[in-house]
Amino acid sequence: MAQIEPTAPRPFFDPRGVSRNILERRSWFLVFIALDIFVLYGIFTSPILIEAWNFVVVGIGVTLQITIFSFLFSIIIGLIVALGRISKNIIIYNVTTLYVELFRGLPLLVIILIFAFVVTPALIDVIAGTDVLPGIPFLDNLIQQMVGINPAVIETTSLRARDIDPVIRIVFAFAVTYGAFMSEVFRAGIESIGRGQMEASRSLGMTYFEAMRHVILPQAIRNVLPALANNFILLLKDTSLASVVAVPEISHLTRQYASNRFRYPEGLLILSFIYANLTILMSLGVIYLESRLQQDKHDE
Amino acid sequence: MSELIRTLPPSDKPIIHIKDATKSFGAVKALRNVSLDVHAGEVVVIIGPSGSGKSTLLRCINRLETVNSGEIWVEDVQVNSKNCDINRVREEVGMVFQQFNLFPNLSVMGNLMLAQTVVRKRNRAESEHIARRLLDKVGIPEKADVFPTKLSGGQQQRVAIARALAMNPKIMLFDEPTSALDPEMIKEVLDVMLDLAKEGMTMVVVTHEMGFARAAANKIVFMDHGEKIVETTPADLFDNPQHERLKQFLGKIL
Repeated sequence: MAQIEPTAPRPFFDPRGVSRNILERRSWFLVFIALDIFVLYGIFTSPILIEAWNFVVVGIGVTLQITIFSFLFSIIIGLIVALGRISKNIIIYNVTTLYVELFRGLPLLVIILIFAFVVTPALIDVIAGTDVLPGIPFLDNLIQQMVGINPAVIETTSLRARDIDPVIRIVFAFAVTYGAFMSEVFRAGIESIGRGQMEASRSLGMTYFEAMRHVILPQAIRNVLPALANNFILLLKDTSLASVVAVPEISHLTRQYASNRFRYPEGLLILSFIYANLTILMSLGVIYLESRLQQDKHDE
Repeated sequence: MSELIRTLPPSDKPIIHIKDATKSFGAVKALRNVSLDVHAGEVVVIIGPSGSGKSTLLRCINRLETVNSGEIWVEDVQVNSKNCDINRVREEVGMVFQQFNLFPNLSVMGNLMLAQTVVRKRNRAESEHIARRLLDKVGIPEKADVFPTKLSGGQQQRVAIARALAMNPKIMLFDEPTSALDPEMIKEVLDVMLDLAKEGMTMVVVTHEMGFARAAANKIVFMDHGEKIVETTPADLFDNPQHERLKQFLGKIL
């Protein structure tokens, strides 16, 4: 989870000086595609690997769901916290700074375990009404719907962690952790905009938040788009940590498959193949995004 | 509405009233007991060596800086009091900066329309109409859909002036509007400012352009080390300087 600085107005590294020859610039991708085809051919000519593939591939949906929902939540958290981190209000500043330092400091794995073994049981207590708090039927029903519990489960048996939607069970652990990192990205982006922009906006009678919304943030977010996209890739890879609490994403399914059949090499080959393809697809997206931004800068 | 106000004869009550303004940045005293009155329709030019506090004084008028003590009134509002609604004051006080500060994420039209729609709550058609009229006025109607970074410095500053005028301000503040410009672009900006002055806009201008000061100012203020040293007419100041520090300053720049 590296911090990436927003692009400076006049970068030291000017991509215009780099070769435009597609072969020179994109050979790594051609090599990757060749490797990809080779592995794909290997998978679909081996019955064992096909079996492993079929077992693992159903988890891609969960992996992507966790990634996308966590990303969206972490962006919202990140934006709000970034505004707090540049606030002159000392309470807001200190609260948000504590949050960032704390969640940046705790390993993601630890946070996932805390959510799985502390937060989720507490949630179950609240929903099932075994909590010391009195039950509020309306609120309980709402939470039950939100976390995807079948009402029949509550009426017939006692509620367990696996009755809660696995994606929801884990998304907030990712969202609060990545929110801390995102907030630093946004803060760097906002601070990269000269103070003259805020002064000009305010001198026209805009409030602080109007200036933020219409002038500062559009420029800041544009500057940090590559960093955000980079965090998206990191997040995608980190979803593999959810496997430790039995969320059925691809890493968890691979571990299940590999330990059942004792076929670790086969399982890990399939898993690496899937991750590499997902992340490189996104890297291409980032490259496209950066070239578009570069073009925009020249157009303006 | 604003046209009406401008045609009113200058009243005795100043539109900007600064009394004993004091401001320090750490140990540096930027303003020392500065008092200044500006009446509606007046053009006041502030000159002085760099670091003399003239920009600070200007920025205190719309509270981009806050004074440590003293009073600043714009019309009937005490700007430096905590419970004044500063955004309502700023709507009526346009400001032009040395570094232009156009919004690079918006086209020229976008720059001119943003505050009109967000702050003045005008609809798109109306604010577009006003924006086009002002672009005509500053002489670059053909640049409406261009982005600011594609414009020359002089053009950017004229857009910045138009952006401030789009709010129909009663007062315009200019903070060294030509200091960041190449020499050949200074005139195009000064011409726009001269036109504004002729129309009777109330202006407070911090500048090193003595030609402009002579041609447009009703009143000229010389500041040094945060103090207002001289406040007089341009003719008196340039042709008959009395104060020693003013003489030194004029000797260096003229």
